[in-house]
Amino acid sequence: MINASLPVQFVMLILLGASLMSWWYIFIKMFTLKRAQKSTDDFEREFWAGGDLHVMYQRVSAERENAGEMERVFEAGFREFTKLRRQAGLPGNVVIDGTQRAMRATYQRELDGLESHLSFLATVGSVSPYVGLFGTVWGIMLAFQGLATVAQATLAQVAPGIAEALIATAMGLFAAIPAVVAYNRYTHDIDRLANRMESFMEEFSNILQRQSNKAV
Amino acid sequence: MIPADAPFVSRPASSFLAGVLALGVHGVFLLLLVFGVSWQTQHPAPVMVDLWEALPAEPAATKRPPPPRRAEPVKRMAEPVPSRPPAVKEPPAPKAPDIALEKKKTDTRRVAEEKRLAEAARIEAETAKTAHEKQLADQKKRELLRQMEADALSQRIAAEAAASADRAARLAEAQAAAGRRQTELARAVGQYRDLISATVRGNTRLPDNLKGNPEVRCLVRLLPTGEVLSVRVTQPSGNAAYDEAVVRAIELSSPLPLPADRAARAAFVPELSFVHRPKE
Repeated sequence: MINASLPVQFVMLILLGASLMSWWYIFIKMFTLKRAQKSTDDFEREFWAGGDLHVMYQRVSAERENAGEMERVFEAGFREFTKLRRQAGLPGNVVIDGTQRAMRATYQRELDGLESHLSFLATVGSVSPYVGLFGTVWGIMLAFQGLATVAQATLAQVAPGIAEALIATAMGLFAAIPAVVAYNRYTHDIDRLANRMESFMEEFSNILQRQSNKAV
Repeated sequence: MIPADAPFVSRPASSFLAGVLALGVHGVFLLLLVFGVSWQTQHPAPVMVDLWEALPAEPAATKRPPPPRRAEPVKRMAEPVPSRPPAVKEPPAPKAPDIALEKKKTDTRRVAEEKRLAEAARIEAETAKTAHEKQLADQKKRELLRQMEADALSQRIAAEAAASADRAARLAEAQAAAGRRQTELARAVGQYRDLISATVRGNTRLPDNLKGNPEVRCLVRLLPTGEVLSVRVTQPSGNAAYDEAVVRAIELSSPLPLPADRAARAAFVPELSFVHRPKE
């Protein structure tokens, strides 16, 4: 690796950096998604247990810093709902529309936070094999160029150079494979979370609509 | 109300732990790479099949060790024979208590019958019994001694046989080692001769007008490190350009590969007569 030519060394350095970064993001996303799934589970259980919505809102807004994604959607929707209800004379569907908009905005923001850095994993997964291949091709080119200066070629004169160059491909694959696996896994997980949140938003709107009709 | 209304961005993830884990994964991969793949640190030499020439001497070297090994079973079989007779002779010893018991019984009967002479008779009987016992014990001791002597003798014989076998084995081994060393040396010299030829041949640029497979003999003066000091053509091939090319190739190949073994290196340093043919 140390004997490799400068471009090959550069390629290896890039790949090492990419691999380190992608594993870093893999672990960060793993923790984030685990927490998001757990908080969503907890919140859904609490919500459908049929407690008082006001009490729940108080609790969620008190610990806003540590609230889960779905809790924040709930909080944004409920806050908007109470605010709009306080303005007397607004028709019920306007209140619900406003509530839904508030929830959708929070939902988008939360989803954006969950999906951040996933594109990096996708890029590493698709590009690093090519980068590694480039390093290998370059190294093999140099090995054969060195062969041109000797009259009788032996395998021993090219084999070490080629073996060194192949390390670049190995590194590219090492960076790419986990990144692709993690990317696919995390996109799937986030999709499921998004589905759950959207269903929750719809159901929650229905509940709020019933409440507002009752009050009016 | 307004600050509470502000949208919440994202939370800080536990990025430190993630970084440590990422580094750990790479460390594991590096370890796998280092210990899983046997990296060749030295360039593999273009080894020729010349090794066959050095081989015939080896079968003789490997055949020699068996004789001492064959001698061992004989020695081991000889050992048990002297140790068996004592084992057969031993049974008589346990009989002694029986006799003593009978004696005692008759003694007690006599004591019952003749109460008046009881004291004297018993003492008499006791002394007789102790004498008899002593005799028996003496016999036993003698037997034991004889057995021990026999054992020691057999052991000494076995040890002597082992020692002589050992000496023979050591001698044979030394001879084999010497032979092996000789062949090893010859092989190392041949191997490095091939290696040098291959390196020089790789660096030779053959002139265009070369015909056939002419031979050049050169005298190369070397430093112990393999550095080429000077090259002199001792027997030119007739093609001056080719001779030139060979000399240049030898200079280009400096330092030449030399065996690490001091004895083997003596064949190359300080002067190496080098025979070169363009095609081989």
